[in-house]
Parts: sequence; C-alpha cells; structure tokens
Amino acid sequence: MIEALFFYVFSTVLVLSAMMVISAKNPVHAVLYLILSFFNAAGLFVMLGAELIAMILVIVYVGAVAVLFLFVVMMLDIDFTRLRDEAQKHAMVGAITGGVLLGELAWVYSQWMGARDALARAAQTAPQATKGLTNAHALGQLLYTHYAYLFQVSGLILLVAMIGAITLTLRSRPGVRKQVISHQLDRNPADVVKIEKIETGAGVS
Amino acid sequence: MTELSHIGISHFLTLSAILFTLGVFGIFRNRRNVIVILMSVELILLSVTMNMVTFSAYLNDLTGQVFSMFILTVAAAEAAIGLAILVVFFRNRGSIAVEDISALKG
Amino acid sequence: MTEFIAPAFSPAYPEIFLAIMAMILLMLGVSTDKEDYRSISRFSILSLIAVGMVVIRLYEGGVTTFGGMFVVDGFSSFMKVLVLFGAAVSIGMATRYARRERIMRFEYPVLILFSTLGMMLMISANDLMALYMGLELQSLPLYVLAAMQRDSVRSTEAGLKYFILGALSSGILLYGMSLLYGYTGTTQFAGLAAAFESFSHGGVPLGVMTGMVLLMCGMAFKISAVPFHMWTPDVYEGSPTSVTAFFAIVPKIAALALMARILTGPFGNMVLHWQQVIILLSVASMVLGAVAAIGQRNIKRMLAYSSIGHMGYALSGLCAANQTGVQAVLVYAAIYMVMSMGAFAFVLMMKRKDRMVEDIYDLSGLSKTQPMMALGMAVIMFSMAGIPPLAGFFGKLYIFQAVVNAQLYMLAVIGVLSSVVAAYYYLRVIKVMYFDAEDEALDAQEDRGLNLVMMLSSLSLVTFILVPAPLITAARLAAETLLR
Repeated sequence: MIEALFFYVFSTVLVLSAMMVISAKNPVHAVLYLILSFFNAAGLFVMLGAELIAMILVIVYVGAVAVLFLFVVMMLDIDFTRLRDEAQKHAMVGAITGGVLLGELAWVYSQWMGARDALARAAQTAPQATKGLTNAHALGQLLYTHYAYLFQVSGLILLVAMIGAITLTLRSRPGVRKQVISHQLDRNPADVVKIEKIETGAGVS
Repeated sequence: MTELSHIGISHFLTLSAILFTLGVFGIFRNRRNVIVILMSVELILLSVTMNMVTFSAYLNDLTGQVFSMFILTVAAAEAAIGLAILVVFFRNRGSIAVEDISALKG
Repeated sequence: MTEFIAPAFSPAYPEIFLAIMAMILLMLGVSTDKEDYRSISRFSILSLIAVGMVVIRLYEGGVTTFGGMFVVDGFSSFMKVLVLFGAAVSIGMATRYARRERIMRFEYPVLILFSTLGMMLMISANDLMALYMGLELQSLPLYVLAAMQRDSVRSTEAGLKYFILGALSSGILLYGMSLLYGYTGTTQFAGLAAAFESFSHGGVPLGVMTGMVLLMCGMAFKISAVPFHMWTPDVYEGSPTSVTAFFAIVPKIAALALMARILTGPFGNMVLHWQQVIILLSVASMVLGAVAAIGQRNIKRMLAYSSIGHMGYALSGLCAANQTGVQAVLVYAAIYMVMSMGAFAFVLMMKRKDRMVEDIYDLSGLSKTQPMMALGMAVIMFSMAGIPPLAGFFGKLYIFQAVVNAQLYMLAVIGVLSSVVAAYYYLRVIKVMYFDAEDEALDAQEDRGLNLVMMLSSLSLVTFILVPAPLITAARLAAETLLR
C-alpha cells in the first residue's frame, strides 16, 4: 500500500517535471526541473532495489551533469524569447510523433511478456544479489571482473570526452599575465628589498 | 521480484515509455533551442536507464544495472562533448539556433 | 562469488596496442612544447599500420574472450584491416589541408586513433553492451572532429547537428536494446540468437519486434540510410574536408560490419522479419541518393548523397541474408572505400589561388589545365557510376547477383534503375571537366601524397578486372566465418 503511494508520488512528479523540462520558458528553470526529475527517478530506482544506480544518478547526474548544464546556460548569453516563438511552429509535428510513439509503446507494454526461459538465462549470465550482499557490493564484484573490459572502454570514452572538450574550448590568449610560481619563489629578499633609513621630516625623494 | 510484487512491471515500463516520448517530443518542439534538445536527450537516456533497471529487478539479474551504469557514464561524456560543441558554436554565432536540420540546400 | 579467471587477452592485442599507442601519442603531444602535428600524425599512421599487421598475423577463426563479449573471426579481421587502412590513409591525406585550415592540432590524429579503436571494438562486439560502448567510443571523437575548425560557423554547426542527431540515434538504439534485454534476459549475441530460435516461422512477440526495429533505426542512422540521412549532407559540407574524407571512408565501413554481424548473428533466425525493413531502407537510400544528388553544385554535398546511395546498394546485399550476399557486401565495402579515398583526395586538391573551392563548376575545362588530375577523377567517377570494366561495376554486379539469387527481383530492378539515374550526376562531373569552356585554372598540385592516393585509387579501380581474386577470396573467407 505504502509502496504504491510512493510509486505514484514519485512517478507523477517525475512526469510533470519532465514536461516542464521541455516546455519551461526559462532554460535555468528547465535545468532545475531536470534535476527534480532525476531525484524522483532515483527514488523509483531505490524502490526497484537498485540503490547504487540511484546514488550514481544523484551524485553524478545532479552533481555533475546537471550542474554543467546550469553552468553553460548561465555562461552563454542567449536570447531565449526569440527561440521560443519559433518553437511553437514545430509543436504540432512533435505532438503527433510523440502521440503515435506513446501509443505504440503502450501497445507493446500492454501485451508484454518475456521469453519463457528469460529468467533461467538471466540467472546464468550474472550472479545475483542474494547471499546477503549489498547492491553496491554485488555490482562491484561484477563490474571489476566479468565486465572489466567494458569498464576499461568506459574509461577510454571519458578520456575522449576530456580531450574533446579541451580541444574545442581551451584557448591560450596572448598577452595574458600568468602566475609563474617558480619566479615568485625565486625572488630573494636581498635582491629586491632595500632598507633605508629616512630622516624625520625630510620625506622620501 | 520481491520489490515489484505490489507494483507491476508494466507500471514502470509505462512510466519509462512516457519519459521516452516526452524526450522525443521535446526534441521536435524545441527544434532550434539546442540546450533544451540536449536536456531532452538526457530524458531519453533516463527512460532507457529506467527500463534497464526495471527489467533487471524483474529478471533478478544484475546485467541490466551494469548496463545502466555504463549508460550513465557515456551520457556524462556525451553531455560534456555536446556542451563543448555548443559553447564553440555560440562563440562563433552569438546564438544557439541551428538551421533547420532537414533543410536541403541546393 | 565464483572464482574469477582472468580472460585471455591475446585476441584483443591489436586493440590494446592501439589504445596504448593513442595514449602515448596524446602524452607526447601534450608534453612537447610546440604542438608537433607532423610527427604525431606520422606516428599515428605507423601505429595504425602496425596494428593492421598484428590483426593479420593474429588471424584466427572464431575466438571469443572477455566473458564472450569480444569475438575475433575472419570477418572481424577483414573489416578491421579495411578500417585501419582507411584511417591511416585519411590521416595521411589530412596533413597539408590541416596546415592550411589551421586545424593542425595534435589532438586531430589522436582522436582519429580513438575513433578507429571504437570501430574495432564495434566490429568485434559480441554483446549488446560491448556494441554500445564501441559505438560511443567511435562516435564521440567524430562529433569533436566535425567541429574541429572551431573558429568557423560552418564547422561548429556541422558538429552540433551531427552531435544532436547522433545522440538521439544512440538513445533510440539503447531503447531497442533495453527491450531486447527485457525480453530475453541477456545481452549476449549468442543468448539472443538462442532466444529467437523459435521465431523462424512467424509469431515474433511485439516487444522483440519493436526492440529490433528501434535497434535497426539506430544503426541505419550510423550508416546514414534514408530516412535517417538528414545529417549527412550538412555535416559533410560543413566539416573540414579532411574530416569529411574520414567520415566518408571509415565509419560507414565499420557500421556496415556491425549491421552484418547483428543481422546474421542474433537476428539470424528472424530473416523474414528484418528483411522488409532493410529492403525499405535500401530502396529509399538508393533512390534518394540518386535523385537528390542531381541538383547539387557543391562537390562535398554531391559525394554525401552518393555515399547514401552506395550504402543503399550495400544494404541490398545484406537483404539476401546469405553467404553470397555478405561476400558481395564486403567486396562492395572495399571498393567503395577505395573510390571515396580517391574522390576525396581530388576534393582536397581542388583549390584556386590558394583557396579551397568546392563548386563542381569550378572544374570547368580541367582536362586542359590539369589533364592527369582530370583523368584520375574521371576514372573514379566512371567507377562510382558503375561503368563496366571498372571495379565499381563489379561491386554492383556481385550485389545484384546476390539479390537476384535470393529472388528479390524488385530490389534488383530498382537498384539497376537508380544506378542509371545516379550515373547522370557522376557523368556530369566528367562532362564539366572535359567539355565545358575552360575556366580559370585550378592551382597546380604541390601535394604529392594526395596525388599519389588519387592515382593509386584510380589505378586499382582499373586493374581490379585483371586481378580480382585476392579481394574476392578474402571476402569469401570472411563471409564464411560470419555465417557458419
């Protein structure tokens, strides 16, 4: 009973905030709604027993990706009112496409059934999180053994993302004075500081 | 399957279908506002993750969860690259409006 | 938890080596003071060639490793050699252009290396997860490369478009994968094939059908088959030409390999169901590739439509869903690669008064001012059009043979008709070069490398008729391992 209540609360907020993401007038609001929808999705994932994914969603998605979005939205000075006026033109096409898609998917799920032997096959592929292991423990055991190959590949993908972002956006501007720490440390008080005695009332010439 | 005993698998799947549809709709609706398009792509990926986790719980199999971890990783990388391209485009153009993608120029 | 046994690394030596080389070159590039583009790109070419050698040496039939996620067989070796060769040539072709257009940054060859690595992983994928990761490792560098000329509106806009549509297509692909996983409970190709075994005679559940169609849509996007082609002309036109050359030569081949493996592997028992979809994609691509290219003046756009058409022919070979079909596709892919190398080497040489030109009518009277260049291009255009003694003709011939053997007569007829229409715009290029009034001459080519690529390409297209055996045999062996 209480589960159903939580499910409906989370899913209603999730759907509403997702709607706001794509229709908000102000993109900063859109990002904030995106964060809200991630939080609600995380709640649903906890209900499904996937605690680690839920935490990753909150930490990585809300903490990094959504903040990156927010950062870019605020950094770029974009005239959104003009973009919005043009947005209305496509809304109809989108609504039709979306409606058809949703109808089809609903049809698919209304008669959903897995393969008869799906459960058996699944149990072969991966050890389960029974045996008193936590979700994170079980996933870790899989990730670093059976899926170590994909783990490495995902490292490469992140490296590529880093290279790409740096290549595209890093510019070295000429004429900018940079802090050179070694120069600062090299300075010797004896070379640059002079102590002089100044007579009272004579001033400094 | 225990977690799903009260709420059927179809509830979660329908929810993810709605999210997926909203993502696709968002891309159409905001054809020229690239930032919202990127957010719509994030919604689509969220719906895929939800599908994967649901199936994973239903089948009592961790493969789906491992897959969704990789999806989240790649999505983060994708967002970084997408935003970087968006920033350089904005520097050149002074706006984030992309010409209609289906326009066939002569 | 059962005892973990370390997987065998030896089948993946080429990939491991390429990854290490890419990272070493990255560090070299970062640590040298002046960005040493030349030596980095030279080392990249050398490492691609070395990896190709390793692939050939390690050639073995049907080994899987990493928990069955990675497969090495004759098919994967054949495709990897093609991809590596294409990548090496396109890095080599880029050098001078990169200096002119000021995209001479060491990240350029490094990103190509990473993308090539992604393609190799994709070709060897034996699991939906491995497929997805390889696909993303391949596409992310491509988005960056398209926007590489970061001070140009055209290039960054191309990058942005490519990125948006690419990300959308990955989302669709993933949704399809999630449905397949949900139905079968596994992501391994072998497991999928076993689960689908009972479907050979009708009665596919809706979930599987939807998942398969979504997966195919995502992949059709990667090879830019109609109706998922919208990005191709804009991206080809906007990206720096050397990058466009890479786009046209290499990723298509890898995506085609992926498609062949998936359709014959996990979906091998569902031929009747996917065949209609692929026929539709193939017919639409062939027709649109032929018709839409006619109005184009920009040679990069024209080649974009031409590549859409070529992918349509390759897909129609896949429709046959048997060994001859796959063999024809492999032969076609190799010939397509050689043709587009030559064509893009030509486009990279098109400049007047030291500025790049892209209009077809800039070529007027080229036969008088630059006879060798015009001759080379004429051979390539004739071959793309499928004029008999040239290699392009045989590529199409094998495809149509396979299609007719599979009794898909309509498909063959549409293919022949659309290649007749397509011949029009290829021949128009030749007409402009040979029969139009002499325009201001293009600059003499100072780049011997590009010239060599174009000459070798056209030479091999001409001589293919004399020595077809090596390619055909290799393709047959590769196709055999795929369809065992």
